[in-house]
Amino acid sequence: MSYAHPEYLVDTEWVAQHKDDPTVRILESDEDPLLYAIGHIPGAAQVDWFSTLQHPLRRDFLTKEQFEEVASKLGITNDTTVVFYGDKSNWFACYALWLFQYYGHQNVRIMNGGRAKWEQENRPLIKDVPSFSATSYKAKEADKSIRAFRDDVFKQIDAKKPLVDVRSPKEYSGELLHMPNYPQEGATRGGHIPGAASIPWAQAVNEADSTFKTAEELKTLYEGKNIKPDGEIIAYCRIGERSSLTWFVLKYLLGYPTVKNYDGSWTEWGNLVDAPIEK
Amino acid sequence: MYPRSFVVNMTLPKNLQEIVDDFASMSREEKLETLIAYAESMPDLPERFQEERAKMEAVPECMTPVFLIGEKDSNGAIVFYLDIPKQSPTVRGLASILTNGLNGCSLEQILSVPADFYLPMNLQEAVSQQRLNGFMGVLAHMKQVAVKLAAG
Repeated sequence: MSYAHPEYLVDTEWVAQHKDDPTVRILESDEDPLLYAIGHIPGAAQVDWFSTLQHPLRRDFLTKEQFEEVASKLGITNDTTVVFYGDKSNWFACYALWLFQYYGHQNVRIMNGGRAKWEQENRPLIKDVPSFSATSYKAKEADKSIRAFRDDVFKQIDAKKPLVDVRSPKEYSGELLHMPNYPQEGATRGGHIPGAASIPWAQAVNEADSTFKTAEELKTLYEGKNIKPDGEIIAYCRIGERSSLTWFVLKYLLGYPTVKNYDGSWTEWGNLVDAPIEK
Repeated sequence: MYPRSFVVNMTLPKNLQEIVDDFASMSREEKLETLIAYAESMPDLPERFQEERAKMEAVPECMTPVFLIGEKDSNGAIVFYLDIPKQSPTVRGLASILTNGLNGCSLEQILSVPADFYLPMNLQEAVSQQRLNGFMGVLAHMKQVAVKLAAG
């Protein structure tokens, strides 16, 4: 058994060989925004989930026009192959990829293993920031079929359709509200969305080198928790970054046709008045 | 217990005040560069704390493990030591600001630092609010460590 869409993954060697390829743009997207400045893959530019991809005022992503501006500045055309990589097993790389798909950019890849694997292989990291000739990128209308909003989640609960909670077990159980010394990051209630299956995102990647597990392992993992290809699935976490990794796995590595990422995630649901919660 | 005066005393320890003033005058890019410099200047954890470090519990996955320990120097002032992974330069940089600003202070000075002391630094244009919550968490942890040291 192989991945359903293996073309969405490239390995570190492929990236090393395409660093000067004008049809390829390599983008680093990290949880820690300073990592890129400390050293990145030669030729790679940075997109930061917070300062580059979020709407400056509202809790939302860039508008279509703002996204076009960002893509144009990065010298991306509608035909460019955009390769994402990052820290933490590619959480935020998957988040950025998801947003590019939201605005209709189809030609996207994840560098399997991310920053961790690149570093393990002692490949070069440099500080030079590349510059590109600006393009005039044209985005498509937002693709709501890959993004769930809170109303979609209410409908999902009523229809008893599958939800996947990809947070760590203690976040799922609600215990995390009692962590000493760390103020909670933005939710007033702990627990999970009723009916959600707990499948922590990390179970989809190999701890040793941050690459994705095999197709067989992934199939066993998700189908074992009743997350099956014919289900219309919504994945969530705390702010939507870890669940975009699960979204990528379900959609492209296992080929599930209908998967949405609920980016409001627990920081919305755990604050939402009148929203049902299970513990 | 905590001296009540810390609620109204808004004077920051001198070193911390200087850092706050520096950041207040910086552009966003300068702030990021300076945070990296703070992250890179963090000394490795002294050998004598390694045993204590090994006992630290794992933290939930989306948080960065911050190991913090303190001791009193020969003058009775408090000195903090940190161990934070190099893969987390933002957390290292923010925590390093606190040790640079507070090491050598007395318990009263440390407790007098208000939780929102960093607002004039305008860091929110450079790092997300979640990071700044963590920053406040490290300060709160330092205060607890300092109280224990002073009592012991």
